[in-house]
Amino acid sequence: MRTLLIILTLVLPPAVAAEDAGIVLIGGGDWELPIVREDTGAPGRVEDFLLDVRQVSNADFLDFVRAKPEWRRDRAPGIFRDARYLSHWPQADALGVGNAAPNRPVTHVSWYAARAYCREMGGRLPTMTEWEYASEKQRDTLSVAPEDYAHELFSWYANPGAGALRPVAEGPAPGLGIHDLHGLVLEWVEDFQLVLGRGDDIDLLTGSCGDTARFLPEFDEAHYATFLRFQSRSNYQPDTTTSTLGFRCAYDPE
Amino acid sequence: MKLFTLTVMAGTLLAAVTQAATPNSGHAGHDAHAHHTPMQAETVDHGHSLFHLGADWRTQAGGPFRLEELAGRPTIITMIYGSCTTACPVLVNDARRIDRAVPEAIRDELQVVIVSFDPARDTPERLADYAADYEVDPERWQFLHGDPADIRTLAAMLGVRYRDNGDGTFDHSNVVTLLDAQGRIVERNEGLARPVEPIVEALVKLRGTRQAAGMAAW
Repeated sequence: MRTLLIILTLVLPPAVAAEDAGIVLIGGGDWELPIVREDTGAPGRVEDFLLDVRQVSNADFLDFVRAKPEWRRDRAPGIFRDARYLSHWPQADALGVGNAAPNRPVTHVSWYAARAYCREMGGRLPTMTEWEYASEKQRDTLSVAPEDYAHELFSWYANPGAGALRPVAEGPAPGLGIHDLHGLVLEWVEDFQLVLGRGDDIDLLTGSCGDTARFLPEFDEAHYATFLRFQSRSNYQPDTTTSTLGFRCAYDPE
Repeated sequence: MKLFTLTVMAGTLLAAVTQAATPNSGHAGHDAHAHHTPMQAETVDHGHSLFHLGADWRTQAGGPFRLEELAGRPTIITMIYGSCTTACPVLVNDARRIDRAVPEAIRDELQVVIVSFDPARDTPERLADYAADYEVDPERWQFLHGDPADIRTLAAMLGVRYRDNGDGTFDHSNVVTLLDAQGRIVERNEGLARPVEPIVEALVKLRGTRQAAGMAAW
């Protein structure tokens, strides 16, 4: 954990260092995913966990690639990443401008690469339940109206802004102190391939309209906005890299 | 700390594999020669090998095991959990049906790996009981116990989805996969009690192609 904090301090531009670098403890509780797979009759339990307050930046990931050159884009085995892995960087071990600038969220990273990074930091990717739980707690803390949440997400989905990403953790951290849960880039989670039925027969992409309806406990805009996030996750393969998908890490409390 | 050590080990392995693959990287530049004799495909592109996983497993006998140990011979691999009474026995039986259906000369060299995604319950001891129930050749059949993160990685590499339901059951995909001697996926059987022919034929073809090219058996 100490290594993580030191690295964050070193790589961040001075303007955003210190106050924003770090991780936040998310207190657990009884909770169910907003997308219901099937009625289990008992609430799920989320244990306490720690979460990076900001997304991993290009600078962070460059440090990782330098420490673990087997994750350079010209060395990482094909089974761990598609052909566009880190393709936005001008060189395999150098950053650039725009979306390749040090303070922009790292994108074009596969699930395998994101997990390797978090493991190196002594952590892991958050589970889907943890990520969604943090998102909902942040909304609750800020008292975001469901329709405002939905409209914000719809406008982001309609224009994900990959042409020119903002820096990570720009501006004050809202609510729980977590930056950019929504509105910058989507994030990998450990179990992104949500299994919705026995075997692969039913999932978010192959399910019929009736299945889709079954997954939504309520038919309001907020649930539909959340559902779209689940659906986009279902569309990824573990070696997928895109311009709108990054990550942050989670950690188990000591 | 344990996780960190594993990462370092994985890194060392990956570096070694990457280095081994390097000598062929300049080959593309020879395409301009019209009468160029193609090199044998034996050492080309190991980038898609499962042997890159670099994880430490334990077998039903309790000993350490790494997937790289499967190199040199083909492997049938599937993922199950031991307390499963529905799909998993069928999956193990599907692997056994394939094992029995291949020609004897190939069967002697075929390896079978059954990986549990329930490491809390499926200890090596319990996997040993499980293996005994199936009366399979313990020399060629390995039932593997591993670290949860490595199990998740392997499942992703094999295209197997699973979810812990928290009540001792898992939802999971049913896939039996054939790996070649370099650890690359050659054929996948999705579903339960599927015909064995696609994998058996892929094995026979793999062997035949290599023999015709005058290469080593696998």
